[in-house]
Amino acid sequence: MKNLSFLFIFGISFFPLLCFSFDPETPTDRRVLVLLDDFSLKSSHSIFFNSLKSRGFDLDFKLADDPTLSLRRYGQYLYDALILFSPSTERFGGSLDLAAVLDFVDSGHDLIVAVDASASDLIKNIATECGVDFDEDSSAMVIDHKSYAISGTEGDHTLIASDDFIQSDVILGKTKIKAPVIFKGIAHSVNAANNLVLKVLSASPSAYSANPKSELSSPPLLTGSAISLVSVVQARNNARIMIAGSLDLFSNRLLRTAVQKAGSPDKYEKSGNEQFVTEISKWVFHERGHLKAVNLKHNKVGETDEPAIYRIKDDLKFSVKIYEWSGKSWETYVADDVQVQFYMMSPYVLKTLSTDGKGLYHASFKVPDVYGVFQFKVDYLRLGYTSLSLSKQIPVRPFRHNEYERFITTAFPYYGASFTTMAGFFIFSILYLYNK
Amino acid sequence: MGRSSSTKDAQALFHSLRSAYAATPVNLKIIDLYVGFAVFTALIQVVYMAIVGSFPFNSFLSGVLSCVGTAVLAVCLRIQVNKENKEFKDLPPERAFADFVLCNLVLHLVIMNFLG
Repeated sequence: MKNLSFLFIFGISFFPLLCFSFDPETPTDRRVLVLLDDFSLKSSHSIFFNSLKSRGFDLDFKLADDPTLSLRRYGQYLYDALILFSPSTERFGGSLDLAAVLDFVDSGHDLIVAVDASASDLIKNIATECGVDFDEDSSAMVIDHKSYAISGTEGDHTLIASDDFIQSDVILGKTKIKAPVIFKGIAHSVNAANNLVLKVLSASPSAYSANPKSELSSPPLLTGSAISLVSVVQARNNARIMIAGSLDLFSNRLLRTAVQKAGSPDKYEKSGNEQFVTEISKWVFHERGHLKAVNLKHNKVGETDEPAIYRIKDDLKFSVKIYEWSGKSWETYVADDVQVQFYMMSPYVLKTLSTDGKGLYHASFKVPDVYGVFQFKVDYLRLGYTSLSLSKQIPVRPFRHNEYERFITTAFPYYGASFTTMAGFFIFSILYLYNK
Repeated sequence: MGRSSSTKDAQALFHSLRSAYAATPVNLKIIDLYVGFAVFTALIQVVYMAIVGSFPFNSFLSGVLSCVGTAVLAVCLRIQVNKENKEFKDLPPERAFADFVLCNLVLHLVIMNFLG
């Protein structure tokens, strides 16, 4: 019996370690559902999948029409992220459908969608809901007669080499991607009304989207840099989505191939694809660019306790700690553009926080000469980083009646005049009554 | 010619005014002096306010209003105790003075409250 209870306690203490679920303390995804059109993709894209596995992801491969497909059970999500490598699927199996995928993202989970020329309406609709519109023409592909990848055969220039990356260290990593990325797939444009979508890999100005097998009868609808090859979305709930117009972009064949861009003398042993897909998947799965703010503190200058209320014109000190998730641990985040607002309907104070380089951000300022219920607000939105939005309410009171100066030096003549008239009245009364 | 005659007229006017005022009873002269003192004090404060600004405005108001109120009450007293004023001939001067004292007490009470 004693032995049994010991075992129970032992088991309980390890229970938290067994729960590999998404939680705010370790924002990196753990369990990933990969939906495929057929299992041959597992071997043809093995380098990408193996890089994910080696980073600690638990990949669950399933066919897109598997009748047992389900993202959630008993109200709990079974996965932290979804990879849709099933471009031609018209209908998912099981309980999965467009709405289920969107709910999955709406609850803060991540999504990677890759399509090719056979993209179905279902997959295109998922992309449209994310703010990305694929070319309506189902036979169209991205063609570029100027910056195509030189291969053995001349071909139809649908295998294009692009190096027009987004300028963001946080999305694509600090190491610059030198070799161009090879792309063979369909074009999409980002919805101009949606400012959460970013073009990560754009086509060159000479690219256009058309059917490579037939002659152009009318000007193509999508041309030039308006064509996005790979786009990402970071939703307001910090869910991250990546949409790629090419499934081959992730394939072993293109990851390992040598590349030379037409018109360029540089020849690379290996295309930039591997670095590109690895770095961007790190971003999508929250191994980078995930911020958290803790220890929001404020107090009067010279005190350490947080007051329940401030008085107008108090000098106060505000501080907050900001960390960035590195995939394994929380590292300090250093930037010089974090601002705090002292806010009541509009910011009365807007101050840039100074940092000590160890993640602590602080500022001192004077409470404005206005009383009411204020908020400390930190709204930090930066390209590639998750949004930080903190607010803490604090009331501000006016002076108490005994906190004013009792006698004001400027007013002494007025005091004098009042007392003089009083004395004058006294003297006048005596003079008036006894003047006879 | 015209100028010297108008100067002369002014002098004559001033002279007659002084001689007429010399006939005023002493108690009325005391009241006049008192009114002059109050107005003078009020003017000093207005000038001071113009220089240093209106910051403790309540103090300024009470300072000036105490002077103005004093002057107004003194003028009222003067009207009531003037023998030549037929309107108040039934009102004894003692009663007028008692009213004046009472009003002054109220005035200064208010002024003290408002001063600062």
